[in-house]
Amino acid sequence: MNFELDDDQRAILDAVGSLLEQRAGAERAMALSPKGVCDDDLDRALRDSGFAEIALGADTGALEAVLVVEAIARACGVVSAGAEILVAPMVAGRSLPGPVALGIAGRDEIVRFGAHARSALVADGDVARVVDLEPGEGTAVHSNFGYPMGRLALTAGRGESLGPGSAARLQSWWRLALAAEAVGTMRAALDVTLEYVARRRQFGRAIGSFQAVQHRLAECAVLVEGSRWLSYEAAHHGATPEAAATAAAQAMAAAHRVFNETHQFTGAMGFTREHALHAWSMRLWSLRLELGGASGHRRAAARARWMSPS
Amino acid sequence: MEFDWSSDERAFRVDLRAFLATALPENWPEISKDGPGSDAQAAFSVEFCPKLAERGWLTQNWPTAYGGNDASAWCHAILGEEMWQCGEPRGAQYMNVNWIGPTIMRYGTEEQKAQHLPPISRGEVLWSQGFSEPEAGSDLVALRTLALRDGDVYVVNGSKIWTSYVNHAQYCFLLVRTDPASKRHRGISVLLCPLDLPGIEIREIPSVVGDRYFHEVFFTDVRVPVTCRLGPENEGWEVVAHALQYERVGAARYARAALTLDELAKRAAERGLLDDPAWLDRFGEARAACEAARMLVYRVIDLRSQGSPPTADTNVARVANTLAERLVSELALEIFGPDALEYGCFADSHFRLAMTAGVAVGATEINLNLVANRFLGLPRE
Repeated sequence: MNFELDDDQRAILDAVGSLLEQRAGAERAMALSPKGVCDDDLDRALRDSGFAEIALGADTGALEAVLVVEAIARACGVVSAGAEILVAPMVAGRSLPGPVALGIAGRDEIVRFGAHARSALVADGDVARVVDLEPGEGTAVHSNFGYPMGRLALTAGRGESLGPGSAARLQSWWRLALAAEAVGTMRAALDVTLEYVARRRQFGRAIGSFQAVQHRLAECAVLVEGSRWLSYEAAHHGATPEAAATAAAQAMAAAHRVFNETHQFTGAMGFTREHALHAWSMRLWSLRLELGGASGHRRAAARARWMSPS
Repeated sequence: MEFDWSSDERAFRVDLRAFLATALPENWPEISKDGPGSDAQAAFSVEFCPKLAERGWLTQNWPTAYGGNDASAWCHAILGEEMWQCGEPRGAQYMNVNWIGPTIMRYGTEEQKAQHLPPISRGEVLWSQGFSEPEAGSDLVALRTLALRDGDVYVVNGSKIWTSYVNHAQYCFLLVRTDPASKRHRGISVLLCPLDLPGIEIREIPSVVGDRYFHEVFFTDVRVPVTCRLGPENEGWEVVAHALQYERVGAARYARAALTLDELAKRAAERGLLDDPAWLDRFGEARAACEAARMLVYRVIDLRSQGSPPTADTNVARVANTLAERLVSELALEIFGPDALEYGCFADSHFRLAMTAGVAVGATEINLNLVANRFLGLPRE
């Protein structure tokens, strides 16, 4: 066991960190948001630097991909990071043209990046399929929930099958991607809230010095830290159904709490488009609605642990 | 990052389980139903710990110079998980190994080390922890038990409360105020106090947690030799702070909770309850909380194995353990239904043990204060 980043992992995070510092951030996300578009420049820069293939590297894998996805979410990147950098390489064995949407066959529903995606990974019964999407297939949907959304009809039987059992693999990596994106998003939401409560003064003192505020933020930190380490461990173990669902279950429980508390403690300011909190916080609810949300992940975790035929 | 056990660590766990399979008697569930502080379990620990010691496992994490094997912090964590999972057959002796011994190693005189460490490493001695007082619980530095110097003894007057294991112990790791004019952190000293001295009276405080769980200890003109003092006079707070960091993740509560949850799931499956998504939801929630707590404890062990000074990660882990244990113990009652109401049954035993998690070794609120200030950097008043 070793919980420290190794030199290569540190170098990867430094590299993606400086790229994100130049090309991502809440301000950029907030500027793109009214247009409902993806950040194609950021997507290209990430691909050009090789991050889209980091999960398939000779010396890098899913854990490094999770670290990068978390960093992109923390920097509020408007790219389909989880699907492109983690899920597609691990399930299809290759990187797919982005943005990449994730969906369930037979459904016609709102999905992240649904109007812009060039590829989709679709759970279709027992198999996962790679679907090349035509431009204009998805319909843009105006949404307040932080990502460019689109309604996308995904019919059964369409696209390249990745073989029997691949749907389960897709679901596991998808759950892990959700956990990683939620962790990065929650860390950023907490960071801006911590900064706010340390600065905002009422009753002659910083509101962050009140125990009623401190304890609830401390509990958020406990939930986020647990989710973070579970996501790394699940990546290290190849997103087994149990580990991936467990990480996602914990992350979605944490996301619920972090959403409520960060908005509570930033008061009316946190609702404004001027303050950056919403750029991250609203995304948490979007993440919480995929694959059955917290309940879906919890049930999957319980089934994997106690009900799998062994 | 690396999240696999080494082959040595895996082999150690296998050996340990094989040993436990033979060392724990058939009536172990009955012996352990009242927790590590009960008469039955205390008596058992004095038979059991020497067997662990014979195999070099009891104090394996200690340096060889003090009768240990220099085992890694990870091997010691495995020992803690396996012991706590099966109901802690070491009884109160887990404290000796985890923090009392190491604190004596760090702050003790050569005489104190020679006196105390060998019996601990042989598994022969029981200790208790004399911290809380009626007016000094979470606010531990408000302690008032006074130890006034009289030549080569301290004369101790005062009382300690909630003292677990003291009814069987030979020694107490006792916090006293040696400077009567002092306040708060200053003027505190630690005494390694023998409990057979005249003037010490122990009374049980009956509780719903279990028999012989809590005690009050009264000190009336107890003459404790000055040679029993651990560390410098009036500067004992540093010793205590050191000990507390080791104590707070001492018990592998997540491991017990996870094992209890597995057992509950088995029983729930037998009754068809796992076909109900609502129950599955609850099981998944509790499982995720146990796993999160495990990883947060591992983070602390990882920091310790790298020789990092204690951080607030310890408090983060402690809070997570409490959350996990609570979810599991509540589920235990609900899964058992009215059968849970019988004293000593599986659900009841776990529930009673879990009840203390948010209060024992520092209330959750104290841990949250430390997380807020040290982990999140939030301002104090």
